[in-house]
Amino acid sequence: MRYPEQFDVLVIGGGHAGTEAAAAAARMGARTLLLTQNIETIGQMSCNPAIGGIGKSHLVAEIDALDGVMARATDQAGIHFRVLNSSKGPAVRAVRAQADRALYKNAVRKILEHQENLSIFQQSVVDLIVEGGRVIGCKTQMELDFYASSVVLTTGTFLGGKIHIGHEQQPGGRAGDAPSNALAKRLRALPFRVGRLKTGTPPRIDGRSVDFSKLEQQPGDEPRPVMSSMGKRQDHPSQTACHITYTNELTHEIIRDNLSRSAMYSGAIEGVGPRYCPSIEDKVVRFAEKTQHQIFIEPEGLTTTELYPNGISTSLPFDVQMAFVRSMSGFEQAHISRPGYAIEYDYFDPRDLTYSLQTKALDGLFFAGPINGTTGYEEAGAQGLLAGINAARKVQDQAFWEPRRDEAYIGVLVDDLINLGTTEPYRMFTSRAEFRLRLRQDNADQRLTPIGSKLGVISSARQRFYEQKMRELAALKKDFAGNCIMPGSDLDQRLSLGLRKETTLLDALRRPEVTVETVSEALGIETSNEQAITVLRQLEIETKYAGYIKRQDDEIAKIRRHETMQIPEQIDYLSIDGLSNELRQKLDQQRPASLARAARIPGMTPAALSVLLIHAKKAASL
Amino acid sequence: MTYGLANGPTMIAAVDQDLICAIATPPGQGGIGVVRISGIGAKKVAETLCAKPLKPRKAVYCEFTHQNERLDDGIALWFPQPHSFTGEEVVELQGHGGPVVQQRLLTALCAAGARIARPGEFSERAFHNGKLDLAQAEGIADLIASTSVAAARAALNTLKGTFSARVNEIKDNLVSLRVQLEAAIDFPDEDIEILEQAGVVEKLRSLAEQLQQTLATADQGRLLNNGIQVALIGSPNVGKSSLLNALVGEDAAIVTDIPGTTRDLLKIDLLINGLPIRLVDTAGIRSGVDKVEQQGVARARAQMTEVDLVLLVVAAPDLQRSQMENLVAEVQNQALAQNLEPPKILIVANKVDLVDQSVHIPAHANVAVSALTGQGLDDLRAAIQKQVGFGQDNAEFTARTRHIEALKIAAVQIFRAQQGIEKGLATELVAEELTHAQHHLGSITGELTADELLGKIFSEFCIGK
Repeated sequence: MRYPEQFDVLVIGGGHAGTEAAAAAARMGARTLLLTQNIETIGQMSCNPAIGGIGKSHLVAEIDALDGVMARATDQAGIHFRVLNSSKGPAVRAVRAQADRALYKNAVRKILEHQENLSIFQQSVVDLIVEGGRVIGCKTQMELDFYASSVVLTTGTFLGGKIHIGHEQQPGGRAGDAPSNALAKRLRALPFRVGRLKTGTPPRIDGRSVDFSKLEQQPGDEPRPVMSSMGKRQDHPSQTACHITYTNELTHEIIRDNLSRSAMYSGAIEGVGPRYCPSIEDKVVRFAEKTQHQIFIEPEGLTTTELYPNGISTSLPFDVQMAFVRSMSGFEQAHISRPGYAIEYDYFDPRDLTYSLQTKALDGLFFAGPINGTTGYEEAGAQGLLAGINAARKVQDQAFWEPRRDEAYIGVLVDDLINLGTTEPYRMFTSRAEFRLRLRQDNADQRLTPIGSKLGVISSARQRFYEQKMRELAALKKDFAGNCIMPGSDLDQRLSLGLRKETTLLDALRRPEVTVETVSEALGIETSNEQAITVLRQLEIETKYAGYIKRQDDEIAKIRRHETMQIPEQIDYLSIDGLSNELRQKLDQQRPASLARAARIPGMTPAALSVLLIHAKKAASL
Repeated sequence: MTYGLANGPTMIAAVDQDLICAIATPPGQGGIGVVRISGIGAKKVAETLCAKPLKPRKAVYCEFTHQNERLDDGIALWFPQPHSFTGEEVVELQGHGGPVVQQRLLTALCAAGARIARPGEFSERAFHNGKLDLAQAEGIADLIASTSVAAARAALNTLKGTFSARVNEIKDNLVSLRVQLEAAIDFPDEDIEILEQAGVVEKLRSLAEQLQQTLATADQGRLLNNGIQVALIGSPNVGKSSLLNALVGEDAAIVTDIPGTTRDLLKIDLLINGLPIRLVDTAGIRSGVDKVEQQGVARARAQMTEVDLVLLVVAAPDLQRSQMENLVAEVQNQALAQNLEPPKILIVANKVDLVDQSVHIPAHANVAVSALTGQGLDDLRAAIQKQVGFGQDNAEFTARTRHIEALKIAAVQIFRAQQGIEKGLATELVAEELTHAQHHLGSITGELTADELLGKIFSEFCIGK
C-alpha cells in the first residue's frame, strides 16, 4: 500500500544522525517523516553515556549553532560536566558531559515531537524505491510504501549487524535490537562499495555491587559549563560524580591466558576496529609493558544503579569478563548486568558520496552516520544535520550547503571522508583540522549561525540571541578601542601595565598577562555576570589570536581562489598527457568540481595542479 | 610525496600572485644572466637589492647588494602590471651571469620575500593573464609536466648523503615533538606526561640548534659563500703544483722537481668556465721524514674531506691501478672516519706528454692532461664544471636553494615555538608553529598527513576508553 501523503524528506533511522537530519529538514520547512524500527529507542545512546570531549564538543557546538538537537538535549540530560584542556588554549578547549540515558532520550524525543513539519512512524524499512537513477521512497516491512523527494539513510551499526561475545555470534544492531538485514541485502545490490567495521562495548556493572570507597572519585567542574550557547545551568538535572579504577597485573594475566577465546583474536571478526578505542585485549597485547590501564566509570543515569566502565570494551566470553572485572580494585564483588560485546556492521565507502552527503550513484539519496564509516554520536549528529539540510535544499531546488574545512569541523569531517575514505571507524580529533585555531567552540555561532540563518534552519529565538551577542561584542570592542589608558593612570596601575605612552584598552588586551580575569577585576565586572564575561572572553580571544588568524586567512584566500577555478564537467582526464596515470584515474573517478577540490586528492602535486588548470581553462573555452 | 592533505598550509598552485623569482636566461655560461621576479611587490623587493628607485620600462644601472655585500652589478628593468611577460608586475635583473652569482641573487630575493618559481610557473602565469594564447597552452602544460619531473629528480639527487640524513633527523625530532604535543591536546584524559616532564622545552631547544647547524653547514652555503673548493691530492712529484699553475696561468705555487716542495696548503681563487673555484694545492701524500712536511701531509689528508671535489693527480708514465685505487680508498675512508659525505673525485693523469698515448691511454683516469704543454686542460676545466654540478642545467642547484629556503622558514617557526613555550603561550599556539615548521620541512622530506600523525600517537600511547 502507498502511504497517502507524499513527503519532502524521508529520514530512515532515529539515532543521532537521523534525529538531527529530520529536525533540520523540518526546521527548513520540508514536510519530513522519520521512520524508525522502534520509537522507544529514538535518541538512544548505544555506547557510553557521554556527549562531547575534544573535537567532539566542537561538532556539538556547530550543531548547536545551526539550532540542532544534541547540545540542547545534553543540557536537559547532563548529570556531570567538565571542561577539558582548559589551560591549552581556547581552540582545543572542550566540554564533556555525562548524560542520563533516559533523560537524554526523552529530551530528544520531546524536541522532535514539538517540531513543526515533522512526523514519526514506527516501521522497519526493507528496501528503497528507485526510479531512473533516483530514489523516490522506501518500502517497509508491513508493505507500506512511503514516497518523498529526498531520502536520508541513517542506519548506524544496524546494517548486517553481528554481535560477538567470545565465540558466540548473533545478529544484532545493538544488544537487544534486531539488525537491518533485509535492507542491508538490498543495499548491497546497489552500486555502492561496502566494507565491514567493528566496534565494542564493555560489560556494564551494577553499582550496588561496587565498593566505591576503593575508587577515585571525579566530581564535575565548578563553575559548571553548559553545552548549548543558549543553555542554562538551571536546565541541568541534579549532578553526580564519575569514578576511576585501574586494571592490574592480575587482570592482564587473566586476559592473556584467554586470548584465544576472544572473538577478535580467534579471527572470527573481519571488520576493522578503531586504533583509538582498542579493546582491553588489544591494550594488554599491544602495550604489554604497561602494568595498569585507567578505567573511567560513568554513571548510566540518576535513576539507575548501572555503571559504564569505560576502557574495558571486550569480546571475550562472559566467564572471562567476570573474572577480569572482579580482579580490579572496587569491583571484587561486581555483578555484570550486561556482558560486553564486539559488533560488526556494514558501512559504505564514503568516497562514493559528494560534499552534500548525497550519494554519487543515486540522486536524492543521502547517507549520514556510521553508515559512512564514522563512529560517535557527535560525528553522526553533524552528518545528520548536514544531510537533513541538503535533503531539504534539494526539495527547495536550492544549491547544496557544502561547508569548507576552514569553516567548520563538519567541513573537515565530510572532506576527509569523501576524499580519503576510511579504514577504521572515523572519529574527530582537533589535530585533523589544519585551521584549528579558528574552528573554536566559542565562535561556532559566529562561524555558522549567519549561514544557518540564510539556509533557514535557525529559529527566531536563536537568531535574536545571536544578534544580541554580536551587538554586545561590537559595543565592547568599540568601548575598548576608545578607552585610552594614560601612563600612571588608575587603570594602568590596576592592570599593572607599566605604560610609557597612552594605549587603548583593546591594545592592552593583546598582552598575554592581560586576561579576562584581570580586566574584569580592574573594570569591576562581576564574575557572576556570565553574559558580560562571555563577551569579554570572546573579545580577548579575537584580539590575542588576530595574528594567527590573519596567517590562516591568507592560506584560506588562496584556497578560495582555487575554488573559483571551476573544472568543466566534460573534461577528459584520461587524455591529459602531463598527469601520471594514477592521478588521471583518481581525477576521472572523483571528478572534482574545482581546483581546490582537485588539490585535496591524495598524490596531487603543484605541477599536476598547474597542468590540470591549463587543461580546465582550455576545456572551458571550447 | 603528498601535498595538500597534511596539516598546515595547503598547496600553492597556479592562479597565485605571490612573488616568484627564477633565472630567466638559459643555463650555462653567458655574457648576461637575467633573474626575473614576478608578482605583487616585485618592484619593492628588487629595489631593496638595487638600492635605487626603478622607473617603468627604463633600464637603471645599479649594484645588486644584499646585507652590504655586493653580488653583481648590472641593469634593473621594471615592467608595471599588466604590460609584462607574465602580465603581473615584473622586474628583470640583468647581471653578469654565472650560475653561482645568479643563485646568490635568488637567495637574496627569497630573503626579501620572494619564493623560487616552480618549473614553468612564469609561462603559466602568462597564460592565465592572457599573454599567451590557447594554442600555446598545451605546450606549457607539457613543459610544466616534463620540467617538474626533471626538477623532482634533481631534488632527489640533492637529498642523498649527509644533508638528507641531517634533514631527516630534524624531521624525526620534529615529528616526535608534535606527537607529544598533539597527544597532550587530543587525549588529555590519558596519562600522557605533561609537557615540561616530557622534556618538550629541552627538545625544542636542541631542535632549534640542530636546524641552525644544518643551515650553517649546508653545502649550499659553503658553495655560495666561499666558492667551490677543489683540492689537488696526490703522491709527491706527480705535478700537482704545475697543474695548479697551468690552471691559474701564473706561478702561484712553487714548482720544483724535489718531492715534498709544497709543505703547506696553497689556496687560490680562480674562475673556471665562470665558476668561482677555490683551488687548494696540498703536500704530496707520503710518509715524509721531515716534521714540517709531516704537518703538511696531515693538512692534506684533512683537506680531502672538506672540499667538494678532489683532483686525484697521478703521473701518467707510472700510472698503476693499485696505487690509484689506494688513493681513492684513502680519500673515502678519511671522509667516512669523520662521518662525512665523501667528496667527488676526478682522477687526473698528468704528464701525458711523456708517454706514447697510442699505447698508454690512461684508461683508469678520467682526464689526461699535461701541465707542461697545456694539452687536455680544457677537458679538465669542463670535467670540473660537470663534476660540481653545473653541467647542462642547474635544476639540482635550484632544488637545493629551495630546500635551504624551506629550512630557513622552518627554523623561524621552531624559534617561535621555542619562544612561545618559554613565555607560557597556550599549547595550541606552540603546536601551530610546529605544524607550520613541519609543513615547510615537508617540502623536502614529504608531508606528514594528519592521519599519519594520529597513527604515531596511537602506536606510542595507549589511547582509548
